[in-house]
Amino acid sequence: MSEMEPVSETPEMPTGQFDLDPAKPQAIYDMLREHSPILRTELGGTMIARHEDVEFALRHAEVFSSDMDAISIGNVRPLIPLQINPPDHVKYRRLLDPLFAPKQVALLENDVRKLSNQLIDDFIDRGECEFNSAFAIPLPCTVFLRLLGLPLEDLDLFLGFKDNIIRPETKDQTEYQRIQAETGQEIYAYFDKVLDERERQPRDDMLTGFLEADVDGNRLTREDILDICYLFLLAGLDTVTASVGCMVSYLAQHPDQRQRLVDDPSQIPGAVEELLRWETPVPGVPRVATEDVELCGERIEAGERITVLLGSANIDERGFPQPDDVDFERPANRHLAFGGGVHRCLGSHLARLELRVALEQLHERIPDYSIKPGEEPKYTMGIRAVDYLPLAFTPPS
Amino acid sequence: MKVRVDTDLCVGHGRCYVLADDVFEADDRGHCLIPNEDVPPDLEEKARVGEQNCPEHAISIEE
Repeated sequence: MSEMEPVSETPEMPTGQFDLDPAKPQAIYDMLREHSPILRTELGGTMIARHEDVEFALRHAEVFSSDMDAISIGNVRPLIPLQINPPDHVKYRRLLDPLFAPKQVALLENDVRKLSNQLIDDFIDRGECEFNSAFAIPLPCTVFLRLLGLPLEDLDLFLGFKDNIIRPETKDQTEYQRIQAETGQEIYAYFDKVLDERERQPRDDMLTGFLEADVDGNRLTREDILDICYLFLLAGLDTVTASVGCMVSYLAQHPDQRQRLVDDPSQIPGAVEELLRWETPVPGVPRVATEDVELCGERIEAGERITVLLGSANIDERGFPQPDDVDFERPANRHLAFGGGVHRCLGSHLARLELRVALEQLHERIPDYSIKPGEEPKYTMGIRAVDYLPLAFTPPS
Repeated sequence: MKVRVDTDLCVGHGRCYVLADDVFEADDRGHCLIPNEDVPPDLEEKARVGEQNCPEHAISIEE
Protein backbone atom coordinates (compact mmCIF):
# COMPACT_ATOMS: atom_id res chain seq x y z
CA MET A 1 0.00 0.00 0.00
CA SER A 2 2.96 2.27 -0.19
CA GLU A 3 4.16 4.11 -3.21
CA MET A 4 7.74 4.09 -4.39
CA GLU A 5 9.11 7.47 -5.20
CA PRO A 6 11.72 8.00 -7.91
CA VAL A 7 15.05 8.21 -6.15
CA SER A 8 17.26 9.49 -8.94
CA GLU A 9 17.10 13.14 -7.85
CA THR A 10 18.94 12.71 -4.58
CA PRO A 11 22.47 14.13 -4.60
CA GLU A 12 24.10 11.05 -3.04
CA MET A 13 22.75 8.84 -5.74
CA PRO A 14 24.95 8.19 -8.77
CA THR A 15 22.70 8.92 -11.71
CA GLY A 16 22.39 6.97 -14.90
CA GLN A 17 23.47 3.67 -13.36
CA PHE A 18 20.01 2.26 -12.89
CA ASP A 19 16.50 2.92 -14.01
CA LEU A 20 13.32 2.66 -12.02
CA ASP A 21 12.25 -0.61 -13.56
CA PRO A 22 9.36 -1.96 -11.47
CA ALA A 23 10.29 -5.46 -12.69
CA LYS A 24 13.63 -5.25 -10.84
CA PRO A 25 13.30 -3.32 -7.59
CA GLN A 26 16.18 -5.21 -5.97
CA ALA A 27 18.82 -3.01 -7.62
CA ILE A 28 17.09 0.09 -6.26
CA TYR A 29 16.99 -1.34 -2.75
CA ASP A 30 20.71 -2.17 -2.91
CA MET A 31 21.44 1.40 -3.97
CA LEU A 32 19.28 2.83 -1.19
CA ARG A 33 20.94 0.76 1.55
CA GLU A 34 24.36 1.67 0.25
CA HIS A 35 23.88 5.40 -0.31
CA SER A 36 20.69 6.59 1.42
CA PRO A 37 19.47 4.18 4.10
CA ILE A 38 17.16 6.97 5.30
CA LEU A 39 15.79 8.80 2.28
CA ARG A 40 13.30 11.66 2.47
CA THR A 41 10.97 11.77 -0.54
CA GLU A 42 7.94 13.85 -1.36
CA LEU A 43 5.45 11.14 -2.21
CA GLY A 44 6.56 8.19 -0.11
CA GLY A 45 7.66 10.09 2.98
CA THR A 46 10.86 8.90 4.61
CA MET A 47 12.09 5.58 3.22
CA ILE A 48 13.97 3.30 5.57
CA ALA A 49 15.92 0.58 3.84
CA ARG A 50 18.34 -1.24 6.17
CA HIS A 51 17.34 -4.58 7.68
CA GLU A 52 18.23 -3.42 11.18
CA ASP A 53 16.14 -0.24 10.95
CA VAL A 54 13.20 -2.03 9.33
CA GLU A 55 13.19 -4.61 12.14
CA PHE A 56 13.39 -1.84 14.73
CA ALA A 57 10.47 0.07 13.24
CA LEU A 58 8.29 -3.04 12.97
CA ARG A 59 8.99 -4.07 16.55
CA HIS A 60 8.21 -0.62 17.97
CA ALA A 61 4.64 -0.12 16.85
CA GLU A 62 4.07 2.46 19.58
CA VAL A 63 6.73 4.74 18.02
CA PHE A 64 6.27 3.75 14.38
CA SER A 65 2.49 3.75 14.27
CA SER A 66 0.28 2.47 11.45
CA ASP A 67 -2.70 4.56 12.59
CA MET A 68 -4.72 6.94 10.39
CA ASP A 69 -1.95 9.53 10.37
CA ALA A 70 0.25 7.00 8.54
CA ILE A 71 -2.17 6.34 5.70
CA SER A 72 -5.72 7.13 4.75
CA ILE A 73 -7.39 5.06 2.05
CA GLY A 74 -10.95 6.29 1.88
CA ASN A 75 -11.78 5.17 5.42
CA VAL A 76 -13.34 7.54 7.94
CA ARG A 77 -12.40 5.54 11.07
CA PRO A 78 -9.30 3.50 11.91
CA LEU A 79 -9.13 0.15 10.15
CA ILE A 80 -9.24 -2.75 12.61
CA PRO A 81 -6.79 -4.07 13.71
CA LEU A 82 -4.07 -2.35 11.63
CA GLN A 83 -4.79 1.24 12.64
CA ILE A 84 -5.39 0.52 16.31
CA ASN A 85 -2.30 1.18 18.43
CA PRO A 86 -1.21 -1.00 21.32
CA PRO A 87 -2.50 -1.69 23.94
CA ASP A 88 -6.09 -1.78 22.49
CA HIS A 89 -4.83 -3.55 19.40
CA VAL A 90 -4.40 -6.90 21.09
CA LYS A 91 -8.05 -7.33 22.04
CA TYR A 92 -8.97 -7.39 18.37
CA ARG A 93 -6.10 -9.73 17.49
CA ARG A 94 -7.25 -12.14 20.20
CA LEU A 95 -10.56 -12.37 18.38
CA LEU A 96 -9.20 -12.47 14.83
CA ASP A 97 -5.97 -14.50 15.14
CA PRO A 98 -7.74 -17.83 15.83
CA LEU A 99 -9.88 -17.38 12.67
CA PHE A 100 -6.71 -17.14 10.56
CA ALA A 101 -4.42 -19.51 12.45
CA PRO A 102 -2.77 -22.28 10.40
CA LYS A 103 -5.03 -24.96 11.90
CA GLN A 104 -8.14 -23.02 10.89
CA VAL A 105 -7.06 -22.07 7.37
CA ALA A 106 -6.00 -25.69 6.72
CA LEU A 107 -9.72 -26.49 6.57
CA LEU A 108 -9.87 -24.47 3.33
CA GLU A 109 -7.17 -26.46 1.54
CA ASN A 110 -9.47 -28.77 -0.44
CA ASP A 111 -11.60 -25.84 -1.52
CA VAL A 112 -8.58 -23.81 -2.63
CA ARG A 113 -7.24 -26.80 -4.58
CA LYS A 114 -10.56 -27.40 -6.30
CA LEU A 115 -10.86 -23.75 -7.21
CA SER A 116 -7.27 -23.66 -8.54
CA ASN A 117 -8.05 -26.65 -10.75
CA GLN A 118 -11.26 -25.10 -12.04
CA LEU A 119 -9.39 -21.94 -13.02
CA ILE A 120 -6.72 -24.02 -14.80
CA ASP A 121 -9.46 -26.06 -16.56
CA ASP A 122 -10.71 -22.84 -18.15
CA PHE A 123 -7.46 -22.12 -20.02
CA ILE A 124 -5.42 -25.33 -20.17
CA ASP A 125 -6.62 -26.47 -23.63
CA ARG A 126 -5.52 -23.19 -25.20
CA GLY A 127 -1.84 -23.67 -24.35
CA GLU A 128 -1.62 -20.05 -23.27
CA CYS A 129 -3.21 -17.58 -20.88
CA GLU A 130 -2.92 -14.11 -19.45
CA PHE A 131 -2.17 -15.35 -15.97
CA ASN A 132 -3.21 -12.30 -13.98
CA SER A 133 -6.82 -12.23 -15.19
CA ALA A 134 -7.11 -16.03 -15.61
CA PHE A 135 -5.77 -17.06 -12.21
CA ALA A 136 -4.03 -14.53 -9.99
CA ILE A 137 -7.08 -12.25 -9.62
CA PRO A 138 -9.94 -14.77 -9.34
CA LEU A 139 -8.24 -17.20 -6.93
CA PRO A 140 -7.82 -15.01 -3.82
CA CYS A 141 -10.95 -12.99 -4.52
CA THR A 142 -13.14 -16.09 -4.72
CA VAL A 143 -11.55 -17.54 -1.57
CA PHE A 144 -12.25 -14.25 0.21
CA LEU A 145 -15.92 -14.13 -0.81
CA ARG A 146 -16.45 -17.72 0.31
CA LEU A 147 -14.67 -17.14 3.60
CA LEU A 148 -16.85 -14.18 4.47
CA GLY A 149 -19.98 -15.90 3.15
CA LEU A 150 -20.66 -13.39 0.38
CA PRO A 151 -22.26 -14.19 -3.00
CA LEU A 152 -19.82 -15.00 -5.82
CA GLU A 153 -21.83 -12.74 -8.15
CA ASP A 154 -20.38 -9.82 -6.21
CA LEU A 155 -16.84 -10.58 -7.45
CA ASP A 156 -16.75 -7.75 -10.00
CA LEU A 157 -18.16 -5.31 -7.48
CA PHE A 158 -15.36 -6.20 -5.06
CA LEU A 159 -12.67 -5.93 -7.72
CA GLY A 160 -13.99 -2.44 -8.50
CA PHE A 161 -13.92 -1.48 -4.80
CA LYS A 162 -10.33 -2.55 -4.27
CA ASP A 163 -9.00 -1.09 -7.52
CA ASN A 164 -10.65 2.27 -6.81
CA ILE A 165 -9.04 2.38 -3.37
CA ILE A 166 -5.61 0.96 -4.19
CA ARG A 167 -5.04 2.45 -7.63
CA PRO A 168 -7.65 5.08 -8.56
CA GLU A 169 -7.43 5.83 -12.26
CA THR A 170 -6.30 9.44 -12.13
CA LYS A 171 -3.10 11.40 -11.73
CA ASP A 172 -4.86 14.32 -10.06
CA GLN A 173 -4.35 14.21 -6.30
CA THR A 174 -7.73 15.76 -5.38
CA GLU A 175 -9.58 13.45 -7.74
CA TYR A 176 -7.56 10.51 -6.38
CA GLN A 177 -8.78 11.21 -2.86
CA ARG A 178 -12.34 11.86 -4.02
CA ILE A 179 -12.51 8.45 -5.71
CA GLN A 180 -11.11 6.78 -2.60
CA ALA A 181 -13.53 8.56 -0.27
CA GLU A 182 -16.54 7.83 -2.46
CA THR A 183 -15.58 4.17 -2.83
CA GLY A 184 -15.00 4.00 0.91
CA GLN A 185 -18.61 5.02 1.50
CA GLU A 186 -19.78 2.34 -0.95
CA ILE A 187 -17.76 -0.28 0.94
CA TYR A 188 -19.25 0.72 4.30
CA ALA A 189 -22.76 0.69 2.78
CA TYR A 190 -22.26 -2.71 1.15
CA PHE A 191 -21.17 -4.42 4.37
CA ASP A 192 -23.77 -2.55 6.44
CA LYS A 193 -26.52 -4.02 4.28
CA VAL A 194 -25.11 -7.56 4.46
CA LEU A 195 -24.78 -7.27 8.25
CA ASP A 196 -28.46 -6.23 8.48
CA GLU A 197 -29.31 -9.41 6.57
CA ARG A 198 -27.15 -11.57 8.85
CA GLU A 199 -28.79 -10.05 11.90
CA ARG A 200 -32.20 -11.04 10.57
CA GLN A 201 -31.01 -14.42 9.31
CA PRO A 202 -27.82 -15.67 10.96
CA ARG A 203 -25.70 -18.04 8.89
CA ASP A 204 -22.69 -20.22 9.49
CA ASP A 205 -20.20 -17.65 8.17
CA MET A 206 -17.57 -15.22 9.38
CA LEU A 207 -19.81 -12.13 9.26
CA THR A 208 -22.41 -13.79 11.49
CA GLY A 209 -19.51 -14.81 13.73
CA PHE A 210 -18.51 -11.15 14.10
CA LEU A 211 -22.08 -10.20 15.09
CA GLU A 212 -21.99 -12.81 17.84
CA ALA A 213 -18.34 -12.31 18.88
CA ASP A 214 -17.33 -11.57 22.43
CA VAL A 215 -14.47 -9.13 23.03
CA ASP A 216 -13.57 -8.73 26.69
CA GLY A 217 -17.19 -9.36 27.66
CA ASN A 218 -18.57 -6.95 25.05
CA ARG A 219 -20.05 -7.38 21.58
CA LEU A 220 -18.29 -5.76 18.65
CA THR A 221 -20.12 -2.61 17.58
CA ARG A 222 -21.48 -2.34 14.04
CA GLU A 223 -18.72 0.18 13.30
CA ASP A 224 -16.06 -2.23 14.62
CA ILE A 225 -17.27 -4.92 12.23
CA LEU A 226 -17.35 -2.51 9.30
CA ASP A 227 -13.80 -1.40 10.10
CA ILE A 228 -12.63 -5.03 10.13
CA CYS A 229 -14.37 -5.84 6.83
CA TYR A 230 -12.95 -2.75 5.15
CA LEU A 231 -9.42 -3.82 6.01
CA PHE A 232 -10.03 -7.43 4.95
CA LEU A 233 -11.22 -6.26 1.55
CA LEU A 234 -8.16 -4.10 1.00
CA ALA A 235 -5.58 -6.40 2.53
CA GLY A 236 -6.82 -9.80 1.40
CA LEU A 237 -7.38 -9.48 -2.32
CA ASP A 238 -4.61 -7.52 -3.97
CA THR A 239 -1.75 -8.93 -1.95
CA VAL A 240 -2.26 -12.58 -2.82
CA THR A 241 -2.97 -11.67 -6.46
CA ALA A 242 0.34 -9.81 -6.50
CA SER A 243 2.22 -12.62 -4.74
CA VAL A 244 1.09 -15.47 -6.98
CA GLY A 245 1.77 -13.27 -10.02
CA CYS A 246 5.30 -12.38 -8.85
CA MET A 247 6.10 -16.02 -8.12
CA VAL A 248 4.81 -17.46 -11.39
CA SER A 249 6.49 -14.66 -13.35
CA TYR A 250 9.82 -15.36 -11.63
CA LEU A 251 9.52 -19.11 -12.25
CA ALA A 252 8.48 -18.61 -15.88
CA GLN A 253 11.69 -16.62 -16.38
CA HIS A 254 13.89 -19.11 -14.47
CA PRO A 255 13.23 -22.51 -16.07
CA ASP A 256 15.80 -24.33 -13.89
CA GLN A 257 14.00 -23.20 -10.76
CA ARG A 258 10.61 -24.05 -12.27
CA GLN A 259 11.86 -27.53 -13.18
CA ARG A 260 13.09 -28.03 -9.62
CA LEU A 261 9.51 -27.67 -8.39
CA VAL A 262 8.15 -29.93 -11.12
CA ASP A 263 10.68 -32.65 -10.26
CA ASP A 264 10.28 -32.29 -6.50
CA PRO A 265 7.03 -30.69 -5.32
CA SER A 266 8.18 -31.05 -1.70
CA GLN A 267 10.33 -27.97 -2.39
CA ILE A 268 7.25 -25.82 -3.00
CA PRO A 269 6.76 -24.64 0.61
CA GLY A 270 10.42 -23.54 0.71
CA ALA A 271 10.01 -21.87 -2.67
CA VAL A 272 7.00 -19.93 -1.40
CA GLU A 273 9.06 -18.56 1.51
CA GLU A 274 12.10 -17.78 -0.60
CA LEU A 275 10.08 -16.06 -3.33
CA LEU A 276 8.19 -14.08 -0.70
CA ARG A 277 11.62 -12.90 0.46
CA TRP A 278 13.07 -12.21 -2.99
CA GLU A 279 9.98 -10.66 -4.57
CA THR A 280 8.41 -9.07 -1.45
CA PRO A 281 5.10 -8.32 -3.18
CA VAL A 282 4.21 -5.71 -0.54
CA PRO A 283 7.49 -3.78 -0.83
CA GLY A 284 6.82 -1.24 1.88
CA VAL A 285 4.40 -0.47 4.69
CA PRO A 286 3.42 3.04 5.82
CA ARG A 287 4.05 4.27 9.34
CA VAL A 288 4.13 7.60 11.17
CA ALA A 289 6.53 8.54 13.97
CA THR A 290 4.66 9.30 17.19
CA GLU A 291 7.71 10.88 18.83
CA ASP A 292 11.21 12.07 17.92
CA VAL A 293 13.43 9.07 17.43
CA GLU A 294 16.91 8.36 16.11
CA LEU A 295 17.39 5.80 13.41
CA CYS A 296 20.64 4.96 11.66
CA GLY A 297 22.23 8.06 13.17
CA GLU A 298 19.51 10.33 11.80
CA ARG A 299 16.77 12.12 13.65
CA ILE A 300 13.22 11.21 12.69
CA GLU A 301 10.72 13.80 13.91
CA ALA A 302 7.34 13.20 15.51
CA GLY A 303 4.70 13.30 12.79
CA GLU A 304 7.09 12.23 10.03
CA ARG A 305 5.56 9.77 7.58
CA ILE A 306 7.67 6.74 6.91
CA THR A 307 7.74 3.91 4.40
CA VAL A 308 9.30 0.82 5.96
CA LEU A 309 10.90 -0.98 3.01
CA LEU A 310 10.30 -4.67 3.69
CA GLY A 311 11.62 -5.52 0.23
CA SER A 312 14.95 -3.90 0.93
CA ALA A 313 15.34 -5.51 4.37
CA ASN A 314 14.64 -8.89 2.78
CA ILE A 315 17.69 -8.66 0.51
CA ASP A 316 20.06 -7.03 3.01
CA GLU A 317 23.18 -9.16 3.47
CA ARG A 318 23.14 -8.23 7.14
CA GLY A 319 19.97 -10.28 7.50
CA PHE A 320 20.49 -12.89 4.78
CA PRO A 321 23.80 -14.38 3.66
CA GLN A 322 24.12 -14.39 -0.15
CA PRO A 323 20.89 -12.41 -0.45
CA ASP A 324 20.90 -12.49 -4.26
CA ASP A 325 20.84 -16.30 -4.40
CA VAL A 326 17.27 -17.47 -4.69
CA ASP A 327 17.62 -20.72 -2.74
CA PHE A 328 14.46 -22.74 -2.09
CA GLU A 329 16.34 -24.64 0.61
CA ARG A 330 17.71 -21.58 2.40
CA PRO A 331 18.27 -22.92 5.92
CA ALA A 332 17.53 -19.70 7.84
CA ASN A 333 14.86 -17.52 6.32
CA ARG A 334 13.61 -14.84 8.68
CA HIS A 335 12.04 -12.81 5.89
CA LEU A 336 9.73 -9.92 6.70
CA ALA A 337 7.41 -10.17 3.69
CA PHE A 338 4.43 -10.27 6.07
CA GLY A 339 5.82 -7.46 8.18
CA GLY A 340 6.62 -8.14 11.81
CA GLY A 341 5.88 -7.10 15.35
CA VAL A 342 2.30 -6.83 16.58
CA HIS A 343 0.91 -5.93 13.14
CA ARG A 344 2.25 -9.10 11.48
CA CYS A 345 -0.07 -9.78 8.53
CA LEU A 346 -3.22 -11.38 9.93
CA GLY A 347 -3.82 -13.28 6.70
CA SER A 348 -0.27 -14.63 6.31
CA HIS A 349 -1.24 -18.26 6.90
CA LEU A 350 -4.13 -18.07 4.46
CA ALA A 351 -1.85 -16.43 1.90
CA ARG A 352 0.76 -19.19 2.35
CA LEU A 353 -1.90 -21.85 1.87
CA GLU A 354 -3.20 -20.25 -1.33
CA LEU A 355 0.32 -19.75 -2.71
CA ARG A 356 1.45 -23.30 -1.96
CA VAL A 357 -1.66 -24.95 -3.39
CA ALA A 358 -1.59 -22.70 -6.47
CA LEU A 359 2.04 -23.62 -7.20
CA GLU A 360 1.35 -27.32 -6.59
CA GLN A 361 -1.52 -27.43 -9.07
CA LEU A 362 0.17 -25.26 -11.69
CA HIS A 363 3.37 -27.35 -11.69
CA GLU A 364 1.41 -30.56 -11.84
CA ARG A 365 -0.84 -29.51 -14.70
CA ILE A 366 1.15 -27.05 -16.86
CA PRO A 367 4.74 -27.96 -15.93
CA ASP A 368 6.50 -26.40 -18.93
CA TYR A 369 5.04 -22.87 -18.77
CA SER A 370 7.15 -19.92 -19.86
CA ILE A 371 6.64 -16.30 -20.86
CA LYS A 372 4.88 -16.24 -24.23
CA PRO A 373 7.53 -15.65 -26.93
CA GLY A 374 7.80 -12.02 -28.01
CA GLU A 375 5.97 -10.74 -24.94
CA GLU A 376 7.03 -9.62 -21.49
CA PRO A 377 5.40 -9.33 -18.08
CA LYS A 378 4.42 -5.89 -16.78
CA TYR A 379 4.85 -5.02 -13.12
CA THR A 380 3.10 -2.27 -11.18
CA MET A 381 4.63 0.20 -8.74
CA GLY A 382 3.38 0.25 -5.17
CA ILE A 383 2.07 -3.22 -4.46
CA ARG A 384 4.19 -5.34 -6.78
CA ALA A 385 1.56 -6.98 -8.99
CA VAL A 386 2.23 -8.45 -12.42
CA ASP A 387 -0.82 -7.00 -14.11
CA TYR A 388 0.09 -8.47 -17.49
CA LEU A 389 1.60 -11.94 -17.45
CA PRO A 390 1.34 -13.78 -20.79
CA LEU A 391 2.20 -17.48 -20.40
CA ALA A 392 2.61 -20.26 -22.97
CA PHE A 393 2.74 -23.99 -22.23
CA THR A 394 2.07 -27.36 -23.85
CA PRO A 395 -1.65 -28.14 -23.70
CA PRO A 396 -2.67 -31.69 -22.71
CA SER A 397 -2.91 -34.00 -25.73
CA MET B 1 19.83 -28.60 24.75
CA LYS B 2 17.08 -26.32 26.01
CA VAL B 3 14.75 -24.33 23.73
CA ARG B 4 12.60 -21.41 24.89
CA VAL B 5 10.19 -18.93 23.37
CA ASP B 6 9.82 -15.33 24.51
CA THR B 7 6.04 -14.95 24.43
CA ASP B 8 6.36 -11.17 24.46
CA LEU B 9 8.19 -11.33 21.13
CA CYS B 10 6.20 -14.10 19.43
CA VAL B 11 3.50 -12.66 17.15
CA GLY B 12 2.41 -15.88 15.44
CA HIS B 13 4.41 -16.08 12.19
CA GLY B 14 4.11 -19.83 12.77
CA ARG B 15 7.35 -20.78 11.07
CA CYS B 16 8.62 -22.84 14.03
CA TYR B 17 5.74 -25.28 14.35
CA VAL B 18 5.27 -25.58 10.61
CA LEU B 19 8.94 -26.48 10.06
CA ALA B 20 9.50 -28.45 13.28
CA ASP B 21 6.24 -29.73 14.72
CA ASP B 22 8.05 -32.28 16.93
CA VAL B 23 9.43 -29.45 19.04
CA PHE B 24 7.00 -26.54 18.65
CA GLU B 25 3.22 -26.36 18.83
CA ALA B 26 0.61 -23.67 18.23
CA ASP B 27 -1.89 -22.18 20.65
CA ASP B 28 -5.37 -21.07 19.52
CA ARG B 29 -4.04 -17.78 18.21
CA GLY B 30 -1.28 -19.51 16.27
CA HIS B 31 1.44 -18.40 18.69
CA CYS B 32 4.28 -20.72 19.63
CA LEU B 33 4.05 -23.20 22.51
CA ILE B 34 6.94 -25.40 23.59
CA PRO B 35 5.55 -28.42 25.48
CA ASN B 36 9.00 -29.67 26.44
CA GLU B 37 11.90 -27.24 26.76
CA ASP B 38 14.39 -30.08 27.12
CA VAL B 39 15.22 -31.18 23.61
CA PRO B 40 16.19 -34.83 23.11
CA PRO B 41 19.32 -35.28 20.95
CA ASP B 42 17.43 -36.56 17.92
CA LEU B 43 15.34 -33.34 17.80
CA GLU B 44 18.16 -30.84 18.29
CA GLU B 45 18.46 -30.14 14.58
CA LYS B 46 14.69 -29.51 14.37
CA ALA B 47 14.87 -27.07 17.29
CA ARG B 48 17.64 -25.18 15.49
CA VAL B 49 15.53 -24.96 12.32
CA GLY B 50 12.72 -23.39 14.33
CA GLU B 51 15.07 -20.95 15.99
CA GLN B 52 16.73 -19.91 12.72
CA ASN B 53 13.46 -19.24 10.94
CA CYS B 54 11.73 -17.08 13.55
CA PRO B 55 11.42 -13.57 12.06
CA GLU B 56 11.04 -12.08 15.55
CA HIS B 57 14.09 -13.80 17.10
CA ALA B 58 11.67 -15.00 19.77
CA ILE B 59 13.19 -18.47 20.11
CA SER B 60 16.43 -19.09 21.95
CA ILE B 61 18.55 -22.18 22.34
CA GLU B 62 20.86 -23.06 25.19
CA GLU B 63 23.33 -25.85 24.55
